[in-house]
Amino acid sequence: MTRYIIRRLIQAIPVLFIISVIVFSLIQISPNNPLSAMQNNPNITPEDLLRLEQEYGLNDPLPVKYSKWLGQIVQGNWGDSFVTHRPVLTEIGERLPNTLYLSLIAFVLALIIAIPFGLISAVRQYSLFDHAVTTIAFMGQSIPIFWFGLILIIVFSVNMQNPLAGTALFPHPPPLPMFPGGGMTTLGESPPDPLVDRVWHLVLPVSMLAVFQLAQHVRYMRAGMLDVLKMDYIRTATAKGLRERAVILKHAFKNAAIPLVTIIALEIPALFNGALFTETIFSWPGMGRLFFNSAERGDYTVLMGILMISATLIIFFNLVADIAYAFLDPRIRFD
Amino acid sequence: MSSRKWLVLSLLVLVVIGVACQPAPTPVPTKAAAAPTAVPKPTEPAGPKKGGTLTMVAWQEPEHLNLELGTQTVSSHVYEFFGENLAQVNDKGQWIPELATEIPTTQNGGVSADGKTITYKLRKNVKWHDGSDFTCADLQFTLQVIRTPNNGALDTGIFADLDQVECPDPNTAVLKFKNFYASWIRLFSGIGPIFPKNAGKPEDLKTWAYNRKPNGTGPFKVTEFVTGDHITLEKNTAYWQPDRPYLDKVIVRIVPSSEVAMQLLKNGEADIMWNNTEADMPALEKMTNVKLFDAPQAGGERLILNAVKPGDPADNKTPHPILGDVKVRQAIAFGIDKKTIIDKLLNGKGLPGSSELNVDPYNCTDIKAYAFDQTKAKALLDEAGWKAGSDGIRVKDGNRLRLKYQTTTGNKLREDSQVLIVENMKAIGVEFFIENQPSSLLLGGWAANSPRKKGNYDILMYTTNASIDPHAQMYTYFHSKSIPSPDNQGGINYSRWNDPDTDKLIDQAGSLPDWPARKDLYCKAAARVVDGATHIYLYQRFNLQGFNARVQGWLATPWGGPAWNAADLWVK
Repeated sequence: MTRYIIRRLIQAIPVLFIISVIVFSLIQISPNNPLSAMQNNPNITPEDLLRLEQEYGLNDPLPVKYSKWLGQIVQGNWGDSFVTHRPVLTEIGERLPNTLYLSLIAFVLALIIAIPFGLISAVRQYSLFDHAVTTIAFMGQSIPIFWFGLILIIVFSVNMQNPLAGTALFPHPPPLPMFPGGGMTTLGESPPDPLVDRVWHLVLPVSMLAVFQLAQHVRYMRAGMLDVLKMDYIRTATAKGLRERAVILKHAFKNAAIPLVTIIALEIPALFNGALFTETIFSWPGMGRLFFNSAERGDYTVLMGILMISATLIIFFNLVADIAYAFLDPRIRFD
Repeated sequence: MSSRKWLVLSLLVLVVIGVACQPAPTPVPTKAAAAPTAVPKPTEPAGPKKGGTLTMVAWQEPEHLNLELGTQTVSSHVYEFFGENLAQVNDKGQWIPELATEIPTTQNGGVSADGKTITYKLRKNVKWHDGSDFTCADLQFTLQVIRTPNNGALDTGIFADLDQVECPDPNTAVLKFKNFYASWIRLFSGIGPIFPKNAGKPEDLKTWAYNRKPNGTGPFKVTEFVTGDHITLEKNTAYWQPDRPYLDKVIVRIVPSSEVAMQLLKNGEADIMWNNTEADMPALEKMTNVKLFDAPQAGGERLILNAVKPGDPADNKTPHPILGDVKVRQAIAFGIDKKTIIDKLLNGKGLPGSSELNVDPYNCTDIKAYAFDQTKAKALLDEAGWKAGSDGIRVKDGNRLRLKYQTTTGNKLREDSQVLIVENMKAIGVEFFIENQPSSLLLGGWAANSPRKKGNYDILMYTTNASIDPHAQMYTYFHSKSIPSPDNQGGINYSRWNDPDTDKLIDQAGSLPDWPARKDLYCKAAARVVDGATHIYLYQRFNLQGFNARVQGWLATPWGGPAWNAADLWVK
């Protein structure tokens, strides 16, 4: 097992290198550059723009730019943003907690609901419960996520008023929306208690994120469970008189969870990337927006930072998923 | 039995999902509170009220607050809360002193006879937010920062003619120029911020703590900068203007899109929305809690016609086969129905474009906009020898009157106006075909082979911003020395307007220090361009600002942002 892990880790190095070359080249094809926002500003002379392009090394040929970047990276220096002039890791470090805070809560919530629902749905296949769960799951998957977010805002933040406005819980006098349409905390006058405020701001974005994930996870859990329930060893376990509860939870669930584990392991790197739609709709200062803004401004050091960390995480969690299989199913061996 | 059991269970499921998705203490709505309480109209208080918090929502993200490094427009509008200049332009388009005590002129002795020495008297008892005194040494330091090579400073080129700042005493600043610089009033007044001398080492400009927590002299000081979320500013209790500012606190809230910003303005979470556009108008007009301000904005959307044959970037002499003829250019100008564009696409919030200079202090009111006159347009084309062909499009010597018409992609207003203009042109027998490109391609640099740099276009449409002092604008857009070529890759006279009279007028205006004489000369140059019709001015937009009705004291301005008079703002 240890040898397997070491081999996989060594294999990751050339993979990451190739990814970095491809991603870097693709970013450079994009015509945006960190100075393009200043092109039409008459207060900046064309000579000054040319001088800055030179200073920033924006006109260097691609191989030169790439080797500069790589030279820094191997020394552990991720470079500075071209726009804010702060280190890339500072930029990421500032956004990451916001993103994880939002997406982890949604992620855990989605799992806590999805696992039992998928399980029951499979055990009681074609029951009314199963039909209801399946229908809702399909709805959750097929609704465009940004549309759902906007609907949440219209209903809960525009149309519905907070009935507790002006009370001890929400000191702000009415009119106050049922739930805020964006931001992480109340910025204006008379904010609620910090904890209440945080939860209050989480409700809508978490709902938006969780509904979508929930719908997917329920489907995987149900499908995995249905497959396993048809297996001989389940029938044997039932035949030898084990209680249904024990059969399902001890024998079936562990094996049925394998597909879900894959999905989850691959979703964890996505948590790092942030949810662009949710962050944009709910003004959440997270990774998704950092990535989008950086792409728009051609801020390639930040883009490379995000993409390379994300690629590393994907490779790493793929390995974690493979190792997790071995624990869940002793028949899988890597040696 | 099982079917009923499951029915109950599935209902339960729905409830559970509903609850789970809203983990907050879901309040039970009560009838009385659910209805928005009607606010009785308060009796107007006699004067401005002190205290309160103002929230401005910005849908662009300030990357930092150092204007010498800045790229985003919004940063310069946040600067108006915490920073100040020697002078600024008020709502009437006049220069008024801010950190200076008066505007230097030849009459008051502030401007020397040759215009190369400018003396500013600085306001006494002005303190930086950290308590130190504002003096002439701060201007010297700022100039040193701008001069330091490789620190990312933007304005090095603009300050090139300024030799040095001399400080005979702490409250007098003498600007000594190497060469006469027509736009001297812009230096330290809108171009470049004024840095406190303790801001940091000039070579470390990019990494100064100042960049996120600037030290200014303005009415508010920045106390918190949360990236991507908000900036908090608090009242500067030591502000030099007595009894100002009125507000205790200002919050600049950052959101990702103007739709979100509109929402916050609507439900009262924001008092000011940064940068409204005409497209917001129908929604804004419905918001009963919002007051709208509009003032004509300088500059404007225009068509830029290539006077030179496309193809060879080095050849700026051979006339364009169609647009080389001034009659064709004028015919296009007469053929465009500007009023319909303004009424239909700008919701009436605009003026027909007339000339390059259309706002005080340089407003050429004598230049009249081309009227919409199809008969005249057709007559001009007939004169130029273009006769209607079988399908109505004009032909001359076997060539169709067909022109490529380009603007930036993804801008609905531009795309809609293209449709109207193409129709207008068809009516006079001219065929425009659309070939839009992303702005980074269309408006890119020489190395990126941008069509406007290399002269590979017929007609472009976009907006160029204007500057309070028009010298750079007039010189770079219309002087023959600004025509881009392999030897002058930075040139931005994209229409290749080459007219000795225009050159002479601009050069002359650029050699005079005083306003009325300069204005007259620039207006004459602008009139030559209008007659030549290489720039066809379509419409002049308004500076639109939506304010919550509780905000008082703001004056609409063509030049400043929403905080240009931040110290005077108060809330009811």
